[in-house]
Amino acid sequence: MNNKKIKAGITVFPGSNCDADVYRVLNDVFGISASFIWHKDKIKDLGGYDFIVIPGGFSYGDYLRSGALAARSPVMEYVKDYASKGGIVLGICNGFQILLEAGLLSGVMLTNNSLKFECQDVYLKTLNTETPFTCALKKDSLLKMPIAHHDGNYFAEKKIIERLNDKNAVIFKYCDENGGITELSNPNGSMHNIAGISNENANVMGLMPHPERSSEKILGSEDGGYIFQSIIKYIKEK
Amino acid sequence: MGNVSAKKNDVKKTEKLFGLSAEEYSKISELLGHEPDAFELGIFAAMWSEHCSYKSSKVYLKTLPTKGGKVLIGPGENAGVVDFGDGDVLVFKMESHNHPSFIEPFQGSATGVGGIMRDIFTMGARPVANLNSLRFGSFSHPRTPYYLSEVVKGIGFYGNCMGVPTVGGEVVFDECYNDNILVNAFTIGIAKKDGIFLSSKCEEGNIVVYVGSSTGMDGIHGATMASEEFDLKKNKKRSTVQVGDPFTEKLLLEACLEAMEKKLIVSIQDMGAAGLTSSSFEMADKSGKGMIINLDAVPLRTSEMTPVEMMLSESQERMLLACGRDKFGKLKAVFDKWGLNCVEVGEVIKEKEIRFFYKSKIYKTLAVDTIVNGPEYKRPVKKPEYLSSVKPLKADNYKIPENLNDIAVKIITHPNIASKKSVFTQYDYTIGTATVIPPGFSAAVLRVNGIGAGKKGFLLNASGNSKYTYLDPFTGGALAVTECARNITACGGYPVAITDCLNFASPEDPEVMWQFANAVEGIKSAAVKLNTPVISGNVSFYNETAKKEGDKTAVHKIYPTPVIGMLGFIDGVENAVTPYFKSEGDEIYILGRLSGNLGGSLYMDLEYGNFMQKPSEIDLDYEVKLQNCLRSLINKEFLKSASDISEGGIFVSLAESAITCPNQTLGFTVNYDTSISGVRIDSFLFSEFEQAFIISLDKKLSGRQKAAVLEICAEYGIKLKKIGEVKKGVMKINDKIDLKSDKIKEGYYSAI
Repeated sequence: MNNKKIKAGITVFPGSNCDADVYRVLNDVFGISASFIWHKDKIKDLGGYDFIVIPGGFSYGDYLRSGALAARSPVMEYVKDYASKGGIVLGICNGFQILLEAGLLSGVMLTNNSLKFECQDVYLKTLNTETPFTCALKKDSLLKMPIAHHDGNYFAEKKIIERLNDKNAVIFKYCDENGGITELSNPNGSMHNIAGISNENANVMGLMPHPERSSEKILGSEDGGYIFQSIIKYIKEK
Repeated sequence: MGNVSAKKNDVKKTEKLFGLSAEEYSKISELLGHEPDAFELGIFAAMWSEHCSYKSSKVYLKTLPTKGGKVLIGPGENAGVVDFGDGDVLVFKMESHNHPSFIEPFQGSATGVGGIMRDIFTMGARPVANLNSLRFGSFSHPRTPYYLSEVVKGIGFYGNCMGVPTVGGEVVFDECYNDNILVNAFTIGIAKKDGIFLSSKCEEGNIVVYVGSSTGMDGIHGATMASEEFDLKKNKKRSTVQVGDPFTEKLLLEACLEAMEKKLIVSIQDMGAAGLTSSSFEMADKSGKGMIINLDAVPLRTSEMTPVEMMLSESQERMLLACGRDKFGKLKAVFDKWGLNCVEVGEVIKEKEIRFFYKSKIYKTLAVDTIVNGPEYKRPVKKPEYLSSVKPLKADNYKIPENLNDIAVKIITHPNIASKKSVFTQYDYTIGTATVIPPGFSAAVLRVNGIGAGKKGFLLNASGNSKYTYLDPFTGGALAVTECARNITACGGYPVAITDCLNFASPEDPEVMWQFANAVEGIKSAAVKLNTPVISGNVSFYNETAKKEGDKTAVHKIYPTPVIGMLGFIDGVENAVTPYFKSEGDEIYILGRLSGNLGGSLYMDLEYGNFMQKPSEIDLDYEVKLQNCLRSLINKEFLKSASDISEGGIFVSLAESAITCPNQTLGFTVNYDTSISGVRIDSFLFSEFEQAFIISLDKKLSGRQKAAVLEICAEYGIKLKKIGEVKKGVMKINDKIDLKSDKIKEGYYSAI
């Protein structure tokens, strides 16, 4: 795939550890021009990028709360500015937690209800396809992706949940292999099986599962690739 | 338990001398020309400890094959190095962290993982996968759930945060580990051939630089503690356990690799056991140089530390390195970026001595040779008495049970057989986007990422069977190696090299030393035949605990537990074979031959309460032919599945093949004619570690393809026998086993 003209920025905090995976998948699998942005880089703004990925990991060792310290890192000021101007921002796993802590998305992450780190394949149901992250998907598509987190138990007060539902901002829910949104298919206790949400403008999305780990057949699933294909499609058609 | 013997408890005496014997103490006085002071004693005790000096094991370890094949660097460095082609090398090692993990399981296991990863990136390699081999007490022991949960949490805590996938391992429960759990951690890393860094390259005039965390009071005397048995009455050893911070280690990893990439480092070693002491003396020794160490410059967490405490602290996430004076500015800039200490603490000198400065004055000078050339013992050996009662099993003395279904269910749901899914899902095994076959199957299979990486991949497995080693140390040692190789071959890979972690009780007990000598001999024999040199490893002695029982003191010893970590290669990683059946109707075969020997089996233990019989010996020549034959069949893409026959026997192999497929539940119907083979039905079902594999072939294979399969088998002189077919939902063997697959699956996945 040649998408060299598309420029992606991947933020790197001390303790980020999925940065290299996202970099490799964007460049080698999708042919995008992706590069790293060190959290302390002195830059003007992020205007030169077509989209930004905040990758997973243990930024600042998860000290204080997952994502809390990274959310206050210099680069996040640029990300907030970028997002406010409609820039596309995808936060994966710890990236999702950082977006919540930075106030770009609503709600919080609690420790998994098993009180354990959970690494496993899950199924996701696509609820909203009118976003830059899902526009290459059909409504209700099922995606198989791995999760690997300790704090992925999404929680928000009722008002926020209602608002998310009103604005179609719940993008993905955990489900079983037949698409049933059940308690058994919820790997972490997340409210209403929520796995991914967006902001109201749908230009910022947080997702707990890892699309970069499920974009190649040899790894057991290519479903995560639809997220990146959607972003590419959206940018090309813009 | 048969392995308990009374022994005089002399903990008090050894504590006074930090684990040194009276003879060693006088030898040190002689070498120094005076009685050692606290500083000298601390350094000698650490460097002459069993843990650092290998004084009891060295004479045996020397006999292991360490060269040949794809080996570039064997034992002696921080880890061994293997040629992976295309300018790539793989660097790996396994190490024990048993004693700390028993005292404080979470931190003990976490820092075990942290320590082994440091050994790998010290060499310039980026860690790409972890394995671990764990032993806990009896599953029903009240403390086992605590140890299991804390150790697994600790391993996950460290490995997950570092972003290194934990792709496999073993978890075994046995009452011999009630008072001494085992935590063996394995890491493999990848580097470019010309990007390897060693601890032996210090040059005169280099400055000695300390990087990473500050030095605290944790882990002091860790090395000497790991060289002593436990005494459960006193639990004063907690401060000897280190505390881990994986976040700092992640920064240290990135900083070190960046500094290496920029060629700012000449020589480097991590501060593991015995911290600053071992890193400074060993680097100086291997480089044939000396050092000035300025203790005033060592970054400290508390100002109250004495010189000996600074030298013996095992605070984690620290490295010692040598760098050209002109490069120090750039080096410091790299570590500043990652927010880590980077402090000049000395200089490399020509004279082979270490000169310590403290409070701006010369404090002590010690000759490098004296410290590093510790004693070497050929300790007395004696064949253990219990072995005289371990005889070949006379099956005729045991009736075949009426109901084999019950015992089959008992075996497949036994904690040592059942799925360890609840353990490995606490480890991130998908990070790195390289895990092709995840944990829970034969061997972990990983691909190599990066442009031009092609289709090559590598396989990893860790195995050991302490029960069999107890019953026959030679066979147990050889079995650990062959079992790893079977798991790797069953995926289509070929074995390349091994690392060993030898966990034993006290070497001062001649019976233990006999077990050790014979187990090493077994490892050697198998490693030579399978052409898998030993490139790194570690010995952990003193895995025993003195306990008061009535008015006597009894010493509880673990079974001798040699664990092997093996690396294999595979050319077409996308063709790696999984052990589970694929489709209904496929034909099931046994490739190889059956001994039918139930000696030492789980079946004998569970059904008759007696497993003290001689296990089968391994015919290593046959083993090589068998594995070559299987690999050849896989390479020609004839097989749909392949599984070895390990603990639990053929029944477990068949059952696992039926239920471990991620998206369906299969089963089988098997008919085995016991009258022709002379192997009785319970022997057929439950004999362990047979020199055979269970394989399945596509039912649609043409006559010509089948003939080709038979031809390959004939070429290697290996028998192939059809025993049944893959069927949905049921497990049927002759008229003896009739079980429902989904019921078995439920039990298999929920036992732990």
